[in-house]
Amino acid sequence: MTELEAGRAQTLVPARGGTALRRYRDVLIALIAFAVLASLPLFTGSKALLDFVIRCSAYGLFATSLNLLVGYTGLTSFGHGMFFGLGAYSFGLIMQKLGVPIPIAFVATLAITAMVAAVIGAICVRLKEIYFAFVTLAFQMLIHSTILSWASFTGGDQGLRGGIPRPAFLGIDLSNHVHLYVTSCALLILGLLAMRQIAQSPFGYTLRMIRDNAARASFLGIDVWRAKLTVFVLAALFASMGGMVMALFVSGAYPEFAYWTISGEAIFINMLGGVSTFLGPMVGTVLLLLLNDTVTRFTEYHGIVLGVVILFFALGLRKGLLDFVAEWYAYRRDAGEGR
Amino acid sequence: MTRTRTPGISRRSTLALMGAGAMTFAAPWVARAQAKTIKIGMPTILSGRVAQLGTSSRNAVMLEVEKVNAAGGLAGRQIEMVIRDSKGQPQEAARVARELVNTDGCELLIDAEASSGAFAVHEVARDLGVFCIHTNSETSALTADPKQHIPNAFRTARQGVHDSIVGGSYAAAIAKAKGLKKWATCSPDYAYGRDTTAEFTLYLKRFAPEVEIISESWPKLFQPDYTEVVTKILQAKPQALYSCLWGGDLTSYIDQANIYAMFGQMEVFAVNMADYTALTVVKNLPKGIHSGNRYIKTFPATPENAAWGDAYKAKYNEYPTNWSWENATAIMLMAEAAKKANSADGKKIAEALKGLTIKCPFGADGTVTMRGDDHTLVGYAIGWGTTIPQEPYVPEVKAGDWKTIFELEAEWKKSKGYT
Repeated sequence: MTELEAGRAQTLVPARGGTALRRYRDVLIALIAFAVLASLPLFTGSKALLDFVIRCSAYGLFATSLNLLVGYTGLTSFGHGMFFGLGAYSFGLIMQKLGVPIPIAFVATLAITAMVAAVIGAICVRLKEIYFAFVTLAFQMLIHSTILSWASFTGGDQGLRGGIPRPAFLGIDLSNHVHLYVTSCALLILGLLAMRQIAQSPFGYTLRMIRDNAARASFLGIDVWRAKLTVFVLAALFASMGGMVMALFVSGAYPEFAYWTISGEAIFINMLGGVSTFLGPMVGTVLLLLLNDTVTRFTEYHGIVLGVVILFFALGLRKGLLDFVAEWYAYRRDAGEGR
Repeated sequence: MTRTRTPGISRRSTLALMGAGAMTFAAPWVARAQAKTIKIGMPTILSGRVAQLGTSSRNAVMLEVEKVNAAGGLAGRQIEMVIRDSKGQPQEAARVARELVNTDGCELLIDAEASSGAFAVHEVARDLGVFCIHTNSETSALTADPKQHIPNAFRTARQGVHDSIVGGSYAAAIAKAKGLKKWATCSPDYAYGRDTTAEFTLYLKRFAPEVEIISESWPKLFQPDYTEVVTKILQAKPQALYSCLWGGDLTSYIDQANIYAMFGQMEVFAVNMADYTALTVVKNLPKGIHSGNRYIKTFPATPENAAWGDAYKAKYNEYPTNWSWENATAIMLMAEAAKKANSADGKKIAEALKGLTIKCPFGADGTVTMRGDDHTLVGYAIGWGTTIPQEPYVPEVKAGDWKTIFELEAEWKKSKGYT
């Protein structure tokens, strides 16, 4: 290094450090979040809490991936649950029938999901709004019916029976509750981080432009169809990851995982948490599961309670919780600055 | 406008937060208050289309638990039931079952889930090693398949293959006597409907080889309109019809088929007819429908069974269901096993339960047995009879022969590769 270069480097360092910090802020947050979650079992022996976080991981990945479509691209999919179910079934079947190591089954499931999503997406993303929503729903019902009728392979409406074998790999034994918990947390954090990267990348901003004005994006030289298809496949991959976590949690896969109600739950989660912030669906997941778990403890009329909550969010707040908080925060900040 | 103060958390929110906080801290105390009692967790379906499965299971369990508690409890410990709704979703069933054991401190489980939910709870029992009795799943594979077998899980529900053997032999005898050769089937389009119909026709043809199935209909589960199915069957002109529709589906089907006077034109074998949920709901119950017994207080025709049915009716103002006797039997067996083991510990109860025979109002000969090798209930009352439009609805039930059942069941297991 010459003196000149050394001098320049010195002046550049702080600036580079600043951008680096900003660039790696998400990674840092992810690391901290993972450290906090992973150290939970050290402080509490509550298996219920660990179960809760595992389920949050499954639904969180699933709901956040739907937000890539709904919130970022403006594609309201009613059939996103098919990839949740597909993930659970592919993973379960590969483990049961082939007995390969878990990481291989994991990657193979993602590959299968990508292929199926590419085919379904190629047909669906040409359509807009309600047509898109209903064709995705139709494909979901197709997959659900296939699971039901192909009983010799999928177990039909009784689901995949006999448990999913979980041979240990790299010192990780997923039949151990804590190992499963830490692995779920890791998958959740990695998944969220990857989705965050997608959302913040130039591609992510392309998606926002397509959402706001697809014609304009097209005139700027963006292949709208290709961008939509790409995000459709990416979202399917993360939904499939969620399905795999759920399959590991219940040690099986059931047709309900691919039924339209599961897509409905994801949409509801997005409504609860909000679609304009990245973490909205995650907040929604925690809210819905918390609500579900507490309400079902006390009453079998949980439908009424959930209905009231939906009404409160739809008519009262008119947006998701995190959207509301974000706006409120912005309002307070502006008020503080005297604007 | 200038604000004189920045609004913080309002008084109402503060109160709400304090309330929520107090609840959070109080809950474990309430839960821990009665440590000497033994908690039995029960995930079941209490909402939606088949909520009656859960409510009638719960009723029967509570009826029996009261008796056990009055007699001193489970090895001296009073039973406290924790019953929770799974909404019929397997992932919820698994979650609820885990929560009951891990959070609520339930030491034993009664799994009153149907179909896929039962398999989900079975995996929880496998994982946690907790004692578990399946009370509502009739799927044969749950206990017959050795892959499913775990030492801590049992079943007190009837088993699909038992029903098919008895139904097939009963129907074959009538087919021979009346010369019924052309048969049609009409069953709900899901695993239970498909499997049960296949097994029934298997045994029907085995006992009456000349029988021929000329028409099959598979209406969807919970289908509201059966017109097309009814007309299809009428056009095929079969001499007999088999159906394993159940509950509301069966009653709608009968009401709609009555319009076409279907029941005068063929012999009808509806395995799930003789259950009060169907018998009391049908508008014009046709005379002479052949049915298997689900629960009926006149079969077995013993004072014990009649008394049990009446006690249930007196307490809940409705008749018990098939699910009721299955759940009541679970509590009876647990109580006897705990007495035998002199302990309420799950492992010891499981050990004592193997091969245990108890006196029971629902037994074919006044007793039922928990078979030791596959952990499923045998010896329960099983038979077929014909309906009349008023009580007792099925006056004479021809009892199935358990010796034949055992022989054919063993053969069936072999054919499935289970033994």
